[in-house]
Amino acid sequence: MSDPTPAVSIENLTKVYPIPLRRKQLVAVRDLSLQVQPGQVYGLLGPNGSGKSTTLKIVLGLVRPTSGATKIFGSDSSEVESREQVGFLPENPYFYKYLTGEETLRFFGRICLLGGRALQDRIDELLALVGLEHARDRRLGGYSKGMLQRIGLAQALIQKPRLVVLDEPTAGVDPAGSREIRDLILDLKKQGIAVLLSSHLLAQVQEICDRVGILSRGRLVREGRLEDLISIENQTEILLEDAPPELLADIRALVEKSSGKLRDIRKPQTTLERLFLESTESSSLGNPVESTSNDRKS
Amino acid sequence: MNAAPDPAAPPSHPAHRGFSPSRIAAIARNTLTELIRLKVFYFLLLFALLIIGNSAFMLRFSFQEEFQVLKDVSLGAMSIFTSLLAIVATAMLLPKDVEDRTLYTILAKPVPRFEYLAGKLGGVLVLLFIATLLMSVLFVAVLFIREKWVIAEILREAGGTPNEQALEMIANVKKSAFSGALVPGIAIIYLKACLLSALTLFVSTFASSSIFTIIVVVAVYFVGHLQATAREYWLAAGANVSWITKGFLAMVSLIFPDLQMFNLVDDIVAGNDIALGLFLRTSGLGLLYVGVYLLAAHFIFSAKEL
Ligand SMILES: Nc1ncnc2c1ncn2[C@@H]1O[C@H](COP(=O)(O)OP(=O)(O)OP(=O)(O)O)[C@@H](O)[C@H]1O
Ligand SMILES: [Mg+2]
Repeated sequence: MSDPTPAVSIENLTKVYPIPLRRKQLVAVRDLSLQVQPGQVYGLLGPNGSGKSTTLKIVLGLVRPTSGATKIFGSDSSEVESREQVGFLPENPYFYKYLTGEETLRFFGRICLLGGRALQDRIDELLALVGLEHARDRRLGGYSKGMLQRIGLAQALIQKPRLVVLDEPTAGVDPAGSREIRDLILDLKKQGIAVLLSSHLLAQVQEICDRVGILSRGRLVREGRLEDLISIENQTEILLEDAPPELLADIRALVEKSSGKLRDIRKPQTTLERLFLESTESSSLGNPVESTSNDRKS
Repeated sequence: MNAAPDPAAPPSHPAHRGFSPSRIAAIARNTLTELIRLKVFYFLLLFALLIIGNSAFMLRFSFQEEFQVLKDVSLGAMSIFTSLLAIVATAMLLPKDVEDRTLYTILAKPVPRFEYLAGKLGGVLVLLFIATLLMSVLFVAVLFIREKWVIAEILREAGGTPNEQALEMIANVKKSAFSGALVPGIAIIYLKACLLSALTLFVSTFASSSIFTIIVVVAVYFVGHLQATAREYWLAAGANVSWITKGFLAMVSLIFPDLQMFNLVDDIVAGNDIALGLFLRTSGLGLLYVGVYLLAAHFIFSAKEL
């Protein structure tokens, strides 16, 4: 696999939206270039309105670029064919309210020309994967936001694409759910599937992305491997457990004798996320609240 | 594009197909499910009420009059109901998909935009077909029951042994109840609804809301019904009609289809047969309009920024 075709390549992409009635234009994306390699998880970061969603929509051929080009596995986004290998989860997805979870997946499978036993197996597999088996026969009109996000994710994976594009995949999902989605993304990565996602949840991006790009007002201001971007080269952290005070005193003394400088000694704090997860752990798996009632039949 | 199959691709992957009837069928089926689950068929109850109520009122008419009125009212109602259903059901399809962003998820799959439009239209056409069929069944059932009723009446008056005169009357009743023109007449009503549906789809590709679409199409509907009269008036006004006038009229008839042409109810009610030539010409024209509107819709929709 030397020099494979990139999963996504964006070259000098610019998107200008005209502002109607006023003789002004809005530059949503300005001269953006980046590549996502197969098997890579790429995070597109940026504040609200920085052009993340616009970029992703152009990659999927939903919006036309003003100039520049985007390609998926070497085929131009303007070609319908380029979407053969990609699954997309739009931001705040809504689906047909009158379809059940299972029917929704069947519909998306059919328009990808799947059918029969293979499709049914794939649907079962995906419903299990996103943890919606208990809600398969319920209409989406009654789904919560996080459940919609999950069915959206399942829908994106229906035809086993080699690239998955996710616009804020964890928006509206509870911490346990968003950890599941994180694990799922890591799982995709293990299978060699490329992932391009946008987010402004930095902690999460830091956990899963190999590479990140930071957008600001449509411009790519930083881009590169995550490790390169965030490591502070001249600092080292030491984490001790059950250290007696004498040891700490010795360390201080040692540091003072050397050319280094001690910046900080502090107690590490558990993250709010971890606290939340630990205290809700028992009820987070398998949504027992919903599965105990008899709503499976309804 | 990639001539050599990529070894990394999962084996289950079908190659991309530029045009796929089964994709269109999947979208059409989904559209039909949507419309049915929105309970659009409830309006059929109104139709049932109308024709059954109507025939109950007419007991004092002679049977010829009764059948004429029944056919007139039923076919007229069928025409208006299918037209309204076509316009309203189609007008909401695109705006709803755009608003809910379901369009994004569909077009992010390898679905050509034309197939999306064709699927949407296909779904509505199937819906209209079912609606027309249900109304026809109801209408024919009412007509049939009334016919049997009238015949029973005649036999009773004849006192058990039907004489020459009674038999003749029965033959008359049968003739005025059912005529061969009903089937092509109803087919043309269906075609008119199809045409309106395609037109509505076209308008909704550039309209800003479904209300706007409905208003525009309803306006076209009225102009389309009136334009034949207007044209006759214009052409009759001067013997030497210039080609400019003719060209203008041709333009008008492209934008405003001559819907009066699809109105064969009067003939049917009068008991006239519909000539095969006329039927074929009208159907051909209807299908042509559907095709032209679908292409026009595709033309605008494929360039549309979502
Ligand atoms: N259809 C459109 N017409 C006009 N302007 C648009 C359109 N879509 C997006 N924009 C503008 O383009 C800019 C970038 O929008 P975009 O949705 O890409 O931002 P984003 O980074 O996804 O933001 P968020 O984090 O809020 O989702 C915004 O200023 C937005 O107002
Ligand atoms: Mg966004």
